[in-house]
Amino acid sequence: MLQAGDWAFVFANLDYLLAGAGITVGLTLTSLLLGFLTGFPAGAIEVYGDGILERVVSTGGVVLRGTPIVVIMLVLFFVVSISKSAFITATVGLGLRSAAYQSQIFRGALQSVDEGQMEAARSVGMSRFEAIRYVVVPQALRRSMPGFQNEFTIVLKDTSIAFAIGLAELLTRGNDLFTQSGRSTAVLEVFLTISAIYFVLTFATNRGLDRLSDYYAIPSGENR
Amino acid sequence: MTLLRVEDVHKSYGDEEVLKGVSFEMDRGDVDVLMGPSGSGKSTMLRCINRLTEIDSGDVWLDGTPVYGPDTDVNELRQDVGMVFQDFNLFAHLTAVENITLGLKRVLGVPKAEARERAMEHLEQVGLAAQADSYPAELSGGQQQRVGIARALAMEPKLMLFDEPTSALDPELVGEVVEVMRDLAAGGMTMLVVSHEMGFARSAADDIHFLDSGTVVESGPPEQLFERPEHDRTRAFLTGLQAETHQ
Repeated sequence: MLQAGDWAFVFANLDYLLAGAGITVGLTLTSLLLGFLTGFPAGAIEVYGDGILERVVSTGGVVLRGTPIVVIMLVLFFVVSISKSAFITATVGLGLRSAAYQSQIFRGALQSVDEGQMEAARSVGMSRFEAIRYVVVPQALRRSMPGFQNEFTIVLKDTSIAFAIGLAELLTRGNDLFTQSGRSTAVLEVFLTISAIYFVLTFATNRGLDRLSDYYAIPSGENR
Repeated sequence: MTLLRVEDVHKSYGDEEVLKGVSFEMDRGDVDVLMGPSGSGKSTMLRCINRLTEIDSGDVWLDGTPVYGPDTDVNELRQDVGMVFQDFNLFAHLTAVENITLGLKRVLGVPKAEARERAMEHLEQVGLAAQADSYPAELSGGQQQRVGIARALAMEPKLMLFDEPTSALDPELVGEVVEVMRDLAAGGMTMLVVSHEMGFARSAADDIHFLDSGTVVESGPPEQLFERPEHDRTRAFLTGLQAETHQ
């Protein structure tokens, strides 16, 4: 049950939780960045590439999407031990997993751009690369925004899985609080508080990304 | 002087032979129209000239350059061949003027300010200077197609290809596009046009090539082809077309 004493305990430790939220935000950003820098080229390779490279990329994507994120993280940290830092390991795990999903967002967006755009670009003498770079990609990036927003939300909340490798992010810190002796009654208060923090983070950034989408939206005359 | 020579061009899609040995020639300044029933290979023929579609056999020569020569750079070749599409295909994320400057900047390396200046001249030429900063989706179909023409013209091509430039337009918007094309023809541009616009063909075309099932059935100036077609297939097609136009 909710108790005033437990709420007081949570608020007394709010600084501690918010510092964890800071790590959560940091991990989200590094993971999404790694996911974008890897996932965007991967998506482009799946659309425009051929041969071995295309097969390697698409197989890698299938494996990453088919493995539970907890398993990815535990393997990276305890089996492969890519780094002593839990933060770096979590970034790589979440980043690669996100790359596998982002590649599909970009693949779909690239494929959705009408073939005529490519033809028109080629017909004025642009190379295939120039046509992709200056005509297809700018349109595909805009179309990938809804999918990317989704991915952002998922990665933000999945940072909590870094709990499994002991990273002191928001969920881990919440856990630290109610596992102190005599504080087990505060479980619900702690979870409600960290849930609220996750909600504020997702809500605020989604609004921000909505703005960004609107700003870069292509005017159509109809929505003026 | 011959600008374009198409020689015995064959093209198949799978088992279906779309072009079965098409040949024709155009002199500099000529305006030729390709007509024929749908599926006759007109658009394919057009696309084979700038290699958006590759031929299986035959030859295409543009101003003495073998279009399918092993040393021919396809990107350089395409700078000499403007193309106007049925569905306009304006770059959706760019304004009218940016649609034109993109090729100038990226392909011809024209500096930004000069590119804009040149693009504006071409927009003026098609009567759309006031719409320079509008996005394609904010323009009518007729306006979009005129921007498409300006985009192709800005590269200063030797030959302009028009692939059914008015087919996707509402009837009341056809006139403005045809008018721009007539001006171009009068200005001496060499144009190869796939179109069923009888008005344009009659007033601007030097020759009409009637295609059916992948071959040129007959060619001739409009007055000859329209008034005294030699082949039954041409006559049948034209009769159908006229009936449609007079509806």
